[in-house]
Amino acid sequence: MKRLISLDEFIDFRRRIMAEKEIQYDKPTLVICAGTGGQASGSNDIIRIIKKYILDKGLQDKLGFRITGCQGFCEMDPFILVQPGRHLYTKLKMEDVPRVIEAALGGFVAEELLYKEPRTLKACQSQNDIPFFQKQTRTILGDNEKLDPIRILDYMEQGGYAALEKALKRNNSEWIVNEVLKSGLRGRGGAGFPTGKKWQLARASGKDGEQKYVVCNADEGDPGAYMDRSLLEGNPHAIIEGMLIAGMAIGADQGFIYVRSEYPLAIKHTLIALRQARDLGILGKNILGSGRDFNIDIVRGAGAFVCGEETALIKSVEGLMGEPRQRPPYPIEKGIGGHPTCINNVETLANIPVIISRGAEEFAKVGVPGNTGTKIFSLVGKIRNTGLVEVPLGIKISDVVYDIGGGPVGNAKIKAVQTGGPSGGCIPASMFDLPIDYDSLVKAGSIMGSGGMIVMDENTCMVDIAKYFMKFLKDESCGKCFTCRKGTQRMYEILDDITKGKGTLEQLDLLEELALVVKDTTMCGLGQSAPNPVLSTLRYFREEYIEHIVNKRCPAGVCKELVGAPCQSACPLGTEAWRYVAYIARGDYDEAYRVIREANPFPSVCARVCNHPCEEKCRAGTGGGQAVSIRALKRFVTDRAEPSSYIPIRHLRANEESPKVAIVGAGPAGLTAAHYLSLQGYRVTVFDAERKAGGMMFSAIPAYRLPREIIEKEIEALIDENITVKYNCALGKDFTVDGLFSEGYKAVFLALGAHRSIPLKIDGENSEGVYPSIQFLRSFNVFGKKLGKGAVGVIGGGNSAVDAARVALRQEDVTGVTIFYRRTRHEMPAFEEEIEAAEQEGIQLETLTTPTKILTNSGRLTGLQCQRNILGEPDASGRRRPIPIPGSEFIVPLDTLIVAISEGSDIDCLGVAGKMKIEVDERSSTVKVDSETLCTNRPGVFAGGDLVTGPNTIVDAIAAGKRVAVMIDRYVRGVELKQPASVRMPKIYVPPVEVDEETAADLRVETPRAAVPWRKRGFAEVEMSLTVREAKREACRCLRCDLDFTRPKETAKPERMEVEVK
Amino acid sequence: MINMKLNGLGVTVEEGMTILEVANFYGFPIPTLCHMEGLSPYGACRLCVVEVGDGPRARLVTSCTSRAEEGMIVRTASNRVMKARMMILELLLASCPQSKIIQDLASKYQVRQQRFRQEHEDCIMCGLCVRMCEEQMMAKAIGFRGRGEKRSLGTPFDIKSEECRLCGGCIYVCPACQLRCTYTDPDKAICGGCANIHPPCYLKDKFDDMMCYMDPCVACEIKRD
Repeated sequence: MKRLISLDEFIDFRRRIMAEKEIQYDKPTLVICAGTGGQASGSNDIIRIIKKYILDKGLQDKLGFRITGCQGFCEMDPFILVQPGRHLYTKLKMEDVPRVIEAALGGFVAEELLYKEPRTLKACQSQNDIPFFQKQTRTILGDNEKLDPIRILDYMEQGGYAALEKALKRNNSEWIVNEVLKSGLRGRGGAGFPTGKKWQLARASGKDGEQKYVVCNADEGDPGAYMDRSLLEGNPHAIIEGMLIAGMAIGADQGFIYVRSEYPLAIKHTLIALRQARDLGILGKNILGSGRDFNIDIVRGAGAFVCGEETALIKSVEGLMGEPRQRPPYPIEKGIGGHPTCINNVETLANIPVIISRGAEEFAKVGVPGNTGTKIFSLVGKIRNTGLVEVPLGIKISDVVYDIGGGPVGNAKIKAVQTGGPSGGCIPASMFDLPIDYDSLVKAGSIMGSGGMIVMDENTCMVDIAKYFMKFLKDESCGKCFTCRKGTQRMYEILDDITKGKGTLEQLDLLEELALVVKDTTMCGLGQSAPNPVLSTLRYFREEYIEHIVNKRCPAGVCKELVGAPCQSACPLGTEAWRYVAYIARGDYDEAYRVIREANPFPSVCARVCNHPCEEKCRAGTGGGQAVSIRALKRFVTDRAEPSSYIPIRHLRANEESPKVAIVGAGPAGLTAAHYLSLQGYRVTVFDAERKAGGMMFSAIPAYRLPREIIEKEIEALIDENITVKYNCALGKDFTVDGLFSEGYKAVFLALGAHRSIPLKIDGENSEGVYPSIQFLRSFNVFGKKLGKGAVGVIGGGNSAVDAARVALRQEDVTGVTIFYRRTRHEMPAFEEEIEAAEQEGIQLETLTTPTKILTNSGRLTGLQCQRNILGEPDASGRRRPIPIPGSEFIVPLDTLIVAISEGSDIDCLGVAGKMKIEVDERSSTVKVDSETLCTNRPGVFAGGDLVTGPNTIVDAIAAGKRVAVMIDRYVRGVELKQPASVRMPKIYVPPVEVDEETAADLRVETPRAAVPWRKRGFAEVEMSLTVREAKREACRCLRCDLDFTRPKETAKPERMEVEVK
Repeated sequence: MINMKLNGLGVTVEEGMTILEVANFYGFPIPTLCHMEGLSPYGACRLCVVEVGDGPRARLVTSCTSRAEEGMIVRTASNRVMKARMMILELLLASCPQSKIIQDLASKYQVRQQRFRQEHEDCIMCGLCVRMCEEQMMAKAIGFRGRGEKRSLGTPFDIKSEECRLCGGCIYVCPACQLRCTYTDPDKAICGGCANIHPPCYLKDKFDDMMCYMDPCVACEIKRD
């Protein structure tokens, strides 16, 4: 390349390059991302194949090919962007390449390889249609896809070095500084100091003619952040241009790019770019004949996190140990070698050419006042679209997380985002309305930092996160100042204790006290922000810490010493799921049944209708794969055993009278309590208002999900000589709590269930043809009455709604069933498999619909007026709020309407009005209890199940029954009810089986279901059991988290080669 | 001359003085472990923090490294300062409980408890020895290595430095190991922090007429008995 020696020559050169660009773009071009992320995903292989294909077919003139740096959509690497048309082919394999090239040449679109919107599975024709890109403003990052980083001409084609041209033409450093000042650009390294201000100070600093330096800080060390790397890799000339302008502005003639050695590709591209710039004459002595000198050197850092701190960076550039020193004096006064040094972040410098070439006013239009321009974030963690995103400052966190990031990957809800790397803080989902700007984030207890954004869901433990960052910081603290070195170490120690269940509440206070002192007294930015992870998690997630300390429980199922096997700790009953799964793998079904039955008196019921919290926490699933199908395995075992075959161990009362206990309600909670109390030798009387035992299991759950004989058999096996059941006895009507005590009952357990549907509260709800779902289901399940006629509508999205819909569909007079739900199907709280089955059976889903009016004709239902919704901002639970669209009303003619929005309990008889003096919560129609002891305000009266929690799962009801049995026993014996929390750890060793080819499987087994036409006709069970082979294979997928705790200590000597001794 | 406010008292001091010097001059003692006259200020122990400024913009700075400025408002013993100082002393006690200096300071500031896991370290990384060696003895025989909790004091690769003249200045200034240097067991009687120092009395033949730098060490006396 010819060295340009004057500005005119340069202007001419640039104009020629820009003109030639037009000619090149008439042929289709493949653009491939080959940043570090792309290369790691295999883009190098794709590049090789493309090159070979082009050479083999002689397509050099027909097809353009550009290898670029990181384009940001790292989740979908390797991908090819085809110009024109901007078709984006994602997650390509080598064999897909010819198809992409043919499509590009032939001018058509290879539909099957296009990016598909994960929820709707609709292919996005162009990159512009992809939601990930739609909300971004890619001022800086957008250039990455347009140029090959090692070609300076590519950069100039895109208008590069226009800013340098403008600056040289003006030849006025004050103008540059003013322009940057006017733009409002704030340092992108994290602290947000106005760049213009810094330059102004640096310009004024030092004696006349004193040596000054410009430093580009590319020492990016935050875990999970890589925007600086991507900029240096993808567009090094922009940084060089920014530094040149900075040099002109402050009067420096030497620049350094301080980049860590871990970024070889960035170093390579930058070195090439520097050489090209020197060859062209825009870097070095007498730049373009202007009389100015500016040279840039690369300094490679050894990868110490603290060297990103400016005073430590200066030491490192000087060749000394990277240790911060006390500021002031600031580097702009005394920097490298004591000379004024202006240190800017990579992204800040990348913004400079934009400001100079487009003008400060234009730049300031993006973003919000005080926080102008765009900011690049690296979005990582438990989110669908990981990658680099560039958004205008002031955008809401929820926009980034839900719209650009695409929301959570799995079922777990997003809990928090961590911004600013190790020194940043966690912001909870309830605060996602917060605008992303420097000041709001600081107020929320976090920092902008260099722009890492780690998304965390419910399977992330906040204590563990704080511990992780603290470990990072204690290793990366330089160690010079005492409070940082020892403070981070001690904070880590305390956090480690808490995650291991050894923490105390006093330690928690100490942790906070220490964190505040460390924040206050350390020397540099690293130490001052080091307590942020602790302080912000303490601020927003203190209950998680307390849960760890007091209840010895890790809600997210992460902390190994507290969780043991996650399936066991997730189960409200503490079922050793790992253990029976292991027995199934060994083929020992009797032992497996014994394990299940020991923890759960209703194993066959739970095997069908449990909401399986164990599977949500299964490490096979949270680790990115699919959870083990534990419920299907339980079903497999329980189908092979008779409930009566299990003989529980009884506690015999010798020579003392058995105390009497009364239980109200023969549902899962009541019967469980009765069973365990009977085993303890109590005489139990169970009162039930129905004529059959079973409670909600019987009246609310339809027979096709839970066959009646299964419930009956299991209940039959539970009721022994100590238990008497009195049917048709309703509390308040036939007996009272006071009456029970006067009859000699020592304790009373209330487990009435939630048998009352909560009304919709719109007009016409009392018309003929409108039924609450509980009434509808109960009439059919208990009395066999078929209330459904003609066109049936169901309002609601929970299990009760889906059950009612599917029951209605099985009634002869029904012609069609529609479910109305106000959000989308994705947000429906019913089990996914239930919704799927309902859809298979032909039930219509009308989502995003709110009923506004029930239409009647002389007291009889004729139809429903509904209004359409759109989804608005996500609320605190992460679900998007439905917002009605005005004028979108429409009418659906209906003959039957079932209201299934929620259920409550019949508490009228319990409260003060019912003269039983039991404290109730009128609003949610539940009974108030002590959450630990399940004690009501009346001594001796306990309550549990749906009566306390509102409509809830069967397994929680059983757990409440189990807990109450323990509490009543303690109450009657006069022992303190509260017990210290203990950790349930796997104890029994079940040797693992060898996994061979036949049993190895990656994917979860699908529960077999009966054929749709057959099951629609009747109430025969829909879900079937697994085969022996399927069960074994599924059981072998278990990761056996228990082995960490149960495997016998290795006592045998390690294997050695046998040597023959003669 | 500079006018500033020190603990509510209007004072006039010479330009270039550090806050620590000003405070000591006016009789407000500030504890410090890493500062010594004649050595460059370092700011490592953080004990000498004082509160500078007023209202919400007030902050803690180390008085040894901060120069007095016109109109500065300094409090050497505000609640915030005392809280920080007590926590630092508690941390010091948790790490180096055997140091007499630290014990005395802790008792003076009424630190009554130590709530961390007890450690027994020999060094608080104050850097006095390193600066003594470099700035007063012109030797640069010892320095810091590693970072974070792995930071340690010694010679590169633990090889005995040829620069070390066994002057003992490093031991003389050490605030943590005082006790050790008067220990009663010969091989534990000296610092042992770096590879440079071996008890000279063990090599007495070679150093026959050299003055022992270990005063008041009694290692050779113990050995003789």
